[in-house]
Amino acid sequence: MYDTTDPVEVWFQRFGVDEDLIGPALAAATAWGADHAELYFQHSATTSLGMSDRAINRAHTSVDLGVGVRVVVGDQVGYAYTEDLDREAVLRAARTAAQIARAASRPAPPAAVASRRGHPSWYPLSRSWQEVELDERLPLLRRWEEATFARDPRVRKVEVSLADAESRVLIARADGVRATDYRPMTTAWLGCTLEDGQRESGSYNLAARAGLDFYTEERQERLVEQAVHRAVQALSAGSPPAGEMPVVMAAGSSGILLHEAIGHGMEADFNRKGVSIFHDRIGASVANPSVTIVDDATLPGARGSLNIDDEGNPTERTVLVEGGVMRSFLHDAISARHYGVPSTGSGRRQSFRHPVLPRMRSTYMEAGPDDPADIIASVSHGLYCETFANGQVQIGAGDFAFYVKLGWLIEGGRITRPVKDVNLVGNGPKVLAAIDRVGNDLRIDEGGWTCGKDGQGVPVSQGMPTVRVSRLSVGGGR
Amino acid sequence: MNAHEQASLDLAADAVRQCRALGADEVSATVREGTTIEVSRRDQRVEHASEASTRRLGVSLLIDGRYSSHSTSDLRPEALRAFFERAVAATRVIEPDPDRALPPIALCGRGATDAELDTLDPAYASWSAEDRGALAEALERAVLARRGDDFVSATVSVTDGSGSTAQVTSHGFSDVSMGAWYSTSASVTLSEPDGRRPEGHAGYSARYRTDMPGVERIADEAHERARDAVGSGPIASGRYPMLLLNRVAGRVLGTLSDPLSGYSIHQGRSCLADKLDERIGSELLDILDDPTIPRGMGSGPWDDDLLIARPRRIIERGVLRSHYIDVYHGRKLGRPPTSDGPSNWVLPVGDRSWQELARAHEKVILVTGFLGGNAHGLTGDFSFGIRGRLLERGEPTARLSEMNVTGNTLRIFHQLIAMADDPWRWSSTVAPTMLFEDVQFSGT
Repeated sequence: MYDTTDPVEVWFQRFGVDEDLIGPALAAATAWGADHAELYFQHSATTSLGMSDRAINRAHTSVDLGVGVRVVVGDQVGYAYTEDLDREAVLRAARTAAQIARAASRPAPPAAVASRRGHPSWYPLSRSWQEVELDERLPLLRRWEEATFARDPRVRKVEVSLADAESRVLIARADGVRATDYRPMTTAWLGCTLEDGQRESGSYNLAARAGLDFYTEERQERLVEQAVHRAVQALSAGSPPAGEMPVVMAAGSSGILLHEAIGHGMEADFNRKGVSIFHDRIGASVANPSVTIVDDATLPGARGSLNIDDEGNPTERTVLVEGGVMRSFLHDAISARHYGVPSTGSGRRQSFRHPVLPRMRSTYMEAGPDDPADIIASVSHGLYCETFANGQVQIGAGDFAFYVKLGWLIEGGRITRPVKDVNLVGNGPKVLAAIDRVGNDLRIDEGGWTCGKDGQGVPVSQGMPTVRVSRLSVGGGR
Repeated sequence: MNAHEQASLDLAADAVRQCRALGADEVSATVREGTTIEVSRRDQRVEHASEASTRRLGVSLLIDGRYSSHSTSDLRPEALRAFFERAVAATRVIEPDPDRALPPIALCGRGATDAELDTLDPAYASWSAEDRGALAEALERAVLARRGDDFVSATVSVTDGSGSTAQVTSHGFSDVSMGAWYSTSASVTLSEPDGRRPEGHAGYSARYRTDMPGVERIADEAHERARDAVGSGPIASGRYPMLLLNRVAGRVLGTLSDPLSGYSIHQGRSCLADKLDERIGSELLDILDDPTIPRGMGSGPWDDDLLIARPRRIIERGVLRSHYIDVYHGRKLGRPPTSDGPSNWVLPVGDRSWQELARAHEKVILVTGFLGGNAHGLTGDFSFGIRGRLLERGEPTARLSEMNVTGNTLRIFHQLIAMADDPWRWSSTVAPTMLFEDVQFSGT
């Protein structure tokens, strides 16, 4: 067993990753010239345990090791990776990635002295997951399962899983920067099926860059209570009416609206190519003055947080929209160079197998002035959206959708009947402009959200205060 | 079998031996190896070029009735030894599950030879970087040749890959399957006066290079689909006939997949659990699951449980004939295993074009794409965002977006009234354009 307290550089030395490997590999990557080149070494280990039919009857572990080599010339990218950290294999990958520069007339970057870049820690752990024996995790699963059966006599089936991941990354750049990060992650999921004349299911999950102590009494209780509550609510829920109507988004995971309606459109790769509907909107008024939208890598322990991005750059809290005015795109190094601005530390990748793209981290709207109860009371006939499954956006047209698992009808300013399983569609700029009430109850959701783009999934967080959208199209069944 | 595949088979066999030596009762080992190469172009130059080779070992262990699975890409001998030790130790910690077992060896094996499956194009070995670059350049030229005043940007991509899967079990299975694939796509972005940047995408995948359409067709489609999004918007909510275009039919057909699975049935989360031999659609709904189709995108000699690949009628003239019962959930449910999931789905075709079908209706919504949405496997309810066209007597009168289609898996296929003559062959769902009556759409 490795010493899990080793600094990341020391961790990688056991795989033969040191300056004697890095130097020649970067030289090979930049042999034809380059504006930027980097090696992204990654070692990740995951463990998951699953329980069903009253037994902890599944275990899965995985180990992933490799290096991705990226060579950038202007906005052209050459990429290769290898899972073999043998010197020849790494050099071969570097030479493959370097081919992108053959036709360019870039000079080779000057030889740089390696310099280590430090960073803050947004996810400190008292104990790494590799120090947590499997025996210590088993009681949690049993407790959650038993509590679920005990909560409601109508519960027929319960499934529980607890997963953790530890990723260590070492980024070595041609400009001399050396940056490392240790990235933990944990996810708990609980699903149950109820039977009361008919059957329904509900689930809830929790995720964080944290250790075992993330599972406080309150969170464990919430995991069980919410899964059962959702199944119970679904038992009596129906389909809402179809068509356009006012929509109130509940505090928390309603941040999916921001993620789809504006977040992707603010990723600067789409904008430097001119294919985003927001490409020319910096400085423009796009929303009500009470709307401020942030993408933040610095929320302690959040699933979307990052100490450094995957290019080795510092991360930050980036204000996308401030007081209704569009302020900044989300930049990686390529787009930052294109626009002549500093990177926002938004360069991310799924793993060493993938090139960097500008991505969201934790996206949320700052709290506004309104009482959430007043917002609901202001709607005579509309929809209150509470629980979400997934979303999607067309970057250029700005059209987006998100799927509401559970919600409520609002009739006469009051929440009345439960509804379920309905897709909502809208257009990003139109919906931003249609947000006319912002609550004072911002909540960052702790769910295990994963954002997909160009075939890459990265962990993200989202948050929202209660807001009212004056009109959205509801895909109801009536 | 080449030296790479033999090496993968040897690695899998060695994993079985080592795990057995450490105390595992039964072991199933898999080595997946593959290479993927991609080149994309924008602004008349290469924007992105990548080459990736991967090799990964997975093992599933049974020890005293306990089950676990593990995978690693760290294949150094000393790392593998430690990996196996941890895998065995992890297995001993969990609880026994009497339903976990390797499938009976008599059920395992090939349903077709490599020659019959024909998933490895002999020409792939000679497909060079120059060929790939030339194809990307030709496709970009074709796309740019069609640009008008409202053109903003186009990206084209040429990707291909090959790979093998070697599988060895402690109860005597040992074999390798292999294949290759090609994929080509183009995306076009246009501008509108209101600032919108509608885009259109066309993409194709095939096992043989000669089965891929020409660059002119891909370029035409990407432009046509982008043009379709210009000036689009919602129309009034209501019930309309729906023409579901062949290339996106898998989205609605896919609502059947989850409730057909043994997992969902066992968990009590399937609306199709008690529907075997019952009518769940019109006479026109017929789904053959066939993993043995030559050059099929979903073809293979066995499934993930190593069960022999066999064609299976899932739905016959509207009547549900089979679930997907994997080995584990088969034992849980007391049912014989069938297969662990869909391979290729083949649907019958009609004798008229979708344009002819459209002309027979006063109004019909042609769905050409989806945006978000989801389906509930237990209730069957689904709700998807759509884009498409309103056709009146076959003539397009509106371009549609910001709309949803809503329905239920148990009802929508009863509303299936016609199949067009245009099966989509570049996917594992080989379906023609399908016409449904009386479907709920929501817009304004």
